[in-house]
Amino acid sequence: MDDLERRILTELQDDFPLSERPYDIIADRLAIDVDTLWQRVEALLGSGVIRRLGASLDSRKLGYSSTLAAICVPEPKVDEASELLNDYVEVTHSYLREGRFNIWFTIIAANTDEIDRILSEIAAKLDLGLEDVLNAPVERLFKLDARFKAGG
Amino acid sequence: MKMLICPTKMPIIWFQALASFGRFNYNVSLLEMSWTLIVCVILKNEKGNMTDIERRILAVIQRGLPVTESPYRDMAREVGIDSSELLEVLGSWKESGKMRRIGAIVNHFRVGMGSGAMVAWRIGPERIEEVGKRMAAFGCVSHAYQRPTAANWPYDLYTMVHASDGEELQRNLKEMSASAGTDDYKALLTRRELKKVPPTYVK
Repeated sequence: MDDLERRILTELQDDFPLSERPYDIIADRLAIDVDTLWQRVEALLGSGVIRRLGASLDSRKLGYSSTLAAICVPEPKVDEASELLNDYVEVTHSYLREGRFNIWFTIIAANTDEIDRILSEIAAKLDLGLEDVLNAPVERLFKLDARFKAGG
Repeated sequence: MKMLICPTKMPIIWFQALASFGRFNYNVSLLEMSWTLIVCVILKNEKGNMTDIERRILAVIQRGLPVTESPYRDMAREVGIDSSELLEVLGSWKESGKMRRIGAIVNHFRVGMGSGAMVAWRIGPERIEEVGKRMAAFGCVSHAYQRPTAANWPYDLYTMVHASDGEELQRNLKEMSASAGTDDYKALLTRRELKKVPPTYVK
């Protein structure tokens, strides 16, 4: 990544303008023309450096409930569990991790009852016991800043 | 008594005051009270909820920003509103914290920071505030949360730790462990990403 790409990434992540033509503003800030900016943005999207353009929303403030959950799934059942989690739109991320709790996933749903219902359903379908399911919603936030520090 | 914080229960107090003077019988005041309680509950339920326009905006923005020169105008067209109205709502979301930020979401693997791990720490209620803040100050930490423990899971502080390789991750963990004053932690290294999709708020 060259210096211009780093500066573009920083602008696109940190302070994407709420304006009719946001790229004109970013091009101005970087003192480059908008066509150059476009070429670079498309390249960053094409190569997958930028996963997507979107809004990072606070589900709780929007009135939704969310949690981080973990389950202990025996190795032969991992693929089945993965497919099961794919069926739930409420499950947004899931990772296979090392440790006893080997599948970790996030749930965003209308309320906590709905989260409990989804977790019980998943546990039942995978034949898991109570002690094989961890429901760990955020109790306190100390930091949330997923921006990549392009400055190094 | 929790209901006393609800401003709409003010009439109850008047009713109760009047009833206590014998000008209303108790049943009327009780009926009025239950009605007011219902109003309070409805108001509370609507607190986190959205207007119809907000819901329609959410249904469009949850799929991401279009990659066009005028992304807001194009989203507004899809929602069926003016772009000025869309920008106004997004501005208010930013203001109220409903929207943390808008823009590029970077793939950490593609920028050479793919050796991250979720690390769960056993801190305990007495020190969690202090340690949580200290962990949050690390540049390599993107997320730090307190979460509940379980019978077989005593870890209460969760951090996402980023690094360019395994060696750097170990260095970061050593520093964090020294700062936290404990080496009772679990580095939950990623074996495989099974699913990663943007949240669907409106189905």
